[in-house]
Amino acid sequence: MSTFLIVLISVSAGTVLSSLLACLPGLHVYNVMGAMVLGILALEGSNWAVPVLVYLPAMTGMIVGWSMLNTIPAVLLGTPDESAMFTVMPGQKYLMAGRGYEGTMITALGGLAGAFFLVLVVAPLAPRYLPVSQEVLRGHMHWVLWIIITFIIMSEWPKGGNRGPAGWAKFYDAWKTLLMGIATFLLSGLLGFIILTRSPVSHEVAFQNIMPAFVGLFAIPWCLLNMISAANVPKQRITKSIEVDGDVILRSVWSGGLGGGLASYLPIVTGGVGGLLAGHATAQRDERIFIMGQGVSKFVYYVGAFMLMFVPGLYLTRGGGAWMIKTLYSPIGVSDYYLVLGCIAIAAAISYLMISPLARGTLWLIDRFNYRHVSSFALIIIVVMVLGVTGWIGLFIALVGTGIGLLPVLYGSRRLNCLGILLLPIACNMSGFGEAITAWLRLT
Amino acid sequence: MKGFSHFMSGVAVASFCPWSIDAALQGNPLFFILGGACGILPDTLDFKVYRFFYDHDVYVTPDPGHLDPQYIADEIARAVNLAYDDKRYIRLKLVSVRLGADFWQQYIVNFDNEKLEVTVKFGPVVNTGQVPVEGTENRFPQVARATIKCKVIQTYDAALKVDIFDGPTIGLAQRPDGGLDVDFLPWHREWSHSLTVGLMLGVVFAFIAGLFFGNWTVGWQGLVTIALCYGVHVVEDQLGHMGSNIFYPLTKHRTPGLHWMHSGDGLPNFLTVWGACLLIFWNLYRAIPDPTYTFGFIHLMMVGLVVPGLIMGGFHWLFTRRDRAAARGDDADDEWNDMKAASG
Repeated sequence: MSTFLIVLISVSAGTVLSSLLACLPGLHVYNVMGAMVLGILALEGSNWAVPVLVYLPAMTGMIVGWSMLNTIPAVLLGTPDESAMFTVMPGQKYLMAGRGYEGTMITALGGLAGAFFLVLVVAPLAPRYLPVSQEVLRGHMHWVLWIIITFIIMSEWPKGGNRGPAGWAKFYDAWKTLLMGIATFLLSGLLGFIILTRSPVSHEVAFQNIMPAFVGLFAIPWCLLNMISAANVPKQRITKSIEVDGDVILRSVWSGGLGGGLASYLPIVTGGVGGLLAGHATAQRDERIFIMGQGVSKFVYYVGAFMLMFVPGLYLTRGGGAWMIKTLYSPIGVSDYYLVLGCIAIAAAISYLMISPLARGTLWLIDRFNYRHVSSFALIIIVVMVLGVTGWIGLFIALVGTGIGLLPVLYGSRRLNCLGILLLPIACNMSGFGEAITAWLRLT
Repeated sequence: MKGFSHFMSGVAVASFCPWSIDAALQGNPLFFILGGACGILPDTLDFKVYRFFYDHDVYVTPDPGHLDPQYIADEIARAVNLAYDDKRYIRLKLVSVRLGADFWQQYIVNFDNEKLEVTVKFGPVVNTGQVPVEGTENRFPQVARATIKCKVIQTYDAALKVDIFDGPTIGLAQRPDGGLDVDFLPWHREWSHSLTVGLMLGVVFAFIAGLFFGNWTVGWQGLVTIALCYGVHVVEDQLGHMGSNIFYPLTKHRTPGLHWMHSGDGLPNFLTVWGACLLIFWNLYRAIPDPTYTFGFIHLMMVGLVVPGLIMGGFHWLFTRRDRAAARGDDADDEWNDMKAASG
């Protein structure tokens, strides 16, 4: 079989597989890829060894397919991962207005625009300019993380204190949400220190050690919230066209590309943080731009981070997908770069074509079954997945994460504060005082 | 300007201080954190602290269950007449109307100085992103009117719009001609937006660093960083409409801004953030002793700002040229013209 056909079949298979998996709430593509990496490593040296030209395109397709299709559980089932978190509120508004399909397709269109942006704009410029910025920013990433943390904490808007006479009571009413946001950040950070320093998860699945915490912080609270408060989802309309024009796409790419670009390039900064910063920087108010921009951002974040590992002269490892591939293969030269870019383009096209039927299928499920039951089913899948991959201890971590993740839900503070789980310990480690803190916490 | 623009401006200013970069390269992020934090601090002080302690003479609190524009008009007229009769400064609070978790009833207040009336009209229901909810624009077509005893001069915006979160405060100040001036958000930029306050905060920091930690070097470096980064916020706000009380407590009132932009305008905010990022990048580059890649400031600005800006601008022009032609033919596109048409 020709190399071209092998690559084409591999990338297509990876894309289709991850597109289907993406519809399962709570399951992250990196969980599946992690298991695949273990399998590939086990087969190395045997007659069944998997060649690079099979697993590299397949995994590229998986990341692309998942970053495009995970919009479905995020918008229609209300179970986002961290990077899709911002899409959920406006997405659910679309759902409650009977326009869930439209919201999903607008986000998917953003993903497709992100693919064009990445392959046609970023990719040709990256080998020339990214190594320069890498040299300039070397040694400075730690304070970039610190200023991001500072902004996340300082930019939260007080939700209360809008009525009543001036004074301490009003001040306290306003600061309740802010204090709870700071508490959420610190508690998540503490959980992060524990997990990253002395993970209770078995070393055999060490690459999944953060997963149960993330599921607990982000996905489970959404499911619980949906189960407790979800009203009946109205009949959904399947529109034949969506109301966007060239300018909406342009501005979405501008804002989403910036957010996703920051998140993919800066260490530990996730899609949600990138989206927050880009949203503040570009000051876009149109809901369509917001939703489509999140589609762009999510795509650029996941796929862009993966792509950076192949940029000639840069070879920067960012994101879980790249770290996993790195255990199997180190990219060399421009041929790998072009291979990955081609795979991204093919996978983006396939996954975009898949989103409409899969969204319709999910809507059919929602229509047929009560939304509360769908959320309960999603929760069961999540719990089974955590239990299956990380065992009872993982489930316990998810439970602790859920407790912290429910704080912003209950007090109306920003859910992004849960990202303290990564931001705080990593920023401390990068600045060189992480060890002092872990020693003080008696973790080392 | 928006908070993030001020924040990034503060970080950019901090990057001009050589000690910031030296400390950062040794793992100490203090000066950059101070830069960002002080860049946004004046607004933090106002919006997160001071406004909750600012007392009002008249509170206009519409009942979300019984929306009545006449009540709002009557209460505003009462505040105006109180200021006129008592010849004193009146603080008037326009409370927002929350209809649900993410929905707010907008209302628009305008002073008609020819007829000596205040008029109030309910606008659309908006979400927290201030985007109108489809089909709610004309739920309340009537315009409520109430008589006022003097002219009320607005210098900030033609109409006062109240919608999301906390509603605005307006101060009614005496004018020499017997009328009243509208101070929009009198608690905002009253004392916090001042170069002297920034300097004082820097002095406090320096004393804490020197006296408690025995490090006077960090003290004076922090003083300079804080004063400059806090100051850049004040300077940037002078580009807008409201202005700042630049040398409080030496000055007592806000100096009006240059009216070059509104604080929420997308493009100036983005240009500020992006420009700040490029300046930070340039300063970090200058600090590399023996760089592998060499480039000049003009090159950086061309590659990072001018060329992508022109390409984006070109596409934007291409995609919106029809809309612009349509917009030129429509001279009644703001809420207040809408209101007059409805009352006509």
